Amino acid sequence: MYRTADLPLLANWRCFAALCTALVALNGCAAMRTVQEPGHPESEIKRNTFPVARGEDVVGRLAVIRLEEGDTLPDIARHFGLGVNAISAANPGVDLWVPEAGKRVTLPLRYILPDAPRKGIVINQATMRLFQFKGDGPSLVVSTYPVGVGTEERPTPMGQTRVARKAARPTWHVPASIAEDHRKKGDILPAKVPPGPENPLGEYALYLSKTGYLIHGTNKPASIGLRATNGCMRLYPENIEMLYRDTPVNTPVLIVNQPYLIGQRDGVLYLEAHTPFEGSGTGELEKIYAKLRSIEKQSAHTLDWKKVQEVQAEARGIPVPIFEMGQGGSQEDVKPLNVEHPDALYGRPALPELKLEAWYVLAADVREEIDARRLAAIINHQGPPIPARVLSKSSGYRVVAGPFNDVSAAREAARRLKIDLDIDGIVIEPVKQIENRKEVMGVEAKSFGNHHNKPNKKEELI
Amino acid sequence: MKTRLLVISVMLVLGAGLTGCATSGDLEKVQAQQNLINAKAEQALQDAQAAKAAADAAKLKADETSVRAENAEKAAAERERIAEEKAQRADAAFQKSMRK
Repeated sequence: MYRTADLPLLANWRCFAALCTALVALNGCAAMRTVQEPGHPESEIKRNTFPVARGEDVVGRLAVIRLEEGDTLPDIARHFGLGVNAISAANPGVDLWVPEAGKRVTLPLRYILPDAPRKGIVINQATMRLFQFKGDGPSLVVSTYPVGVGTEERPTPMGQTRVARKAARPTWHVPASIAEDHRKKGDILPAKVPPGPENPLGEYALYLSKTGYLIHGTNKPASIGLRATNGCMRLYPENIEMLYRDTPVNTPVLIVNQPYLIGQRDGVLYLEAHTPFEGSGTGELEKIYAKLRSIEKQSAHTLDWKKVQEVQAEARGIPVPIFEMGQGGSQEDVKPLNVEHPDALYGRPALPELKLEAWYVLAADVREEIDARRLAAIINHQGPPIPARVLSKSSGYRVVAGPFNDVSAAREAARRLKIDLDIDGIVIEPVKQIENRKEVMGVEAKSFGNHHNKPNKKEELI
Repeated sequence: MKTRLLVISVMLVLGAGLTGCATSGDLEKVQAQQNLINAKAEQALQDAQAAKAAADAAKLKADETSVRAENAEKAAAERERIAEEKAQRADAAFQKSMRK
């Protein structure tokens, strides 16, 4: 037998007040537990493959992650199977290359399927996402991957095509127009590029029946989610491998451009808006407004048009619930999942250790640390990667690319920095070599009585 | 009769004249009062001028602070604009470098 309360103690008003405070505090803790849900291991997060329930158009679930020091949005995007466009749009105002550590960013892992037949491959250019449908009826499954598409000058062609053939470790036969573009920049390309790190097709390619257009891998993974190709569609190396294995020859491929998507799930209507490509916004918007008006008419309920306009104007690429169509709609999975930061981000460029006997390229000398870190990150994400780091000095920061094993590798890196980023890099000799030469020069100077030979200041500091 | 009237008039005039005249003590008292009031007025004037000067100084300071705050705000906005421009330029260069 035990006592549940000591009544004489309660008679004391101080004890009573203390008890009340404790109860309120405990209540607060419980509330906090609801807000700060425990993080889910990243392995639990579905990235690519989702079942598609009959009559439903929305798959996946949003997530949020807390950034750590040194993270970049392209690294986070790749780890979670997102393109650079998607993570940038979902997190406006967050620096792509030097985001603030500790900041929570949204992972837009929920998608509205394009308005197209659920068969074969469908690529939505506006959202820069590929959807591969497998099975049918109740067993319909969709795998989705981010893609890089054609530039404004060389857009990806729209319409129906099919996979004509497939190739692992393809050779890139450089088209004359691309060779000419590179020649103008001072970059002479060979007639064909064999498989390997220099090959922009990556490890796998699906050749489309529309001649000259491919769905392929890449040696520039940071370009996924950008308009950076000559009309082809690029995927992350890990994604093209899955797509290649899953796609038989003659698979139909439909390329659409749908910046505004509507779809339903669990009785809730969602709207997903992306920034439209130039010239396609008005027409696409009219189409979606017509559909929404028709839904409004059928349901005999008024749509929140202000919200529709907000979603369209923000263009964050996230499905936003705009209308409850029926009763019993579950909104539980609308809440984003809190994801734990993984120990290592997949595909993050590795940074080799500094070596005194190696060659380097001084890429920039800047005053602000943020500028140096941004540039180093951009250089690190080139394809093939060029390792780069920030070195601090008394009055600013240096961005140094390397280490390189020999002078030719350093010169090649300097050449690429010039062609791709318009950076005039300075090749730096190995420290040991400089010291040896200084010794020789010292001997020579003594022999000839010449004391005017000063070593390069930059070389000294590296 | 005429003499009586004359005597009465003279006496009345004299009486009235004597009533209007003040003693030297009264005069000193008035003078002292005037001096006191003058001193008070002078003090009030000085106080008012000091207060105005203080108010002017405070206004000047407030204006200066406001200008400085405005300048600081402008400088911060300018720094932000430059930083944003730099980031945009870097992103544009990166996007260009990602082409095949």
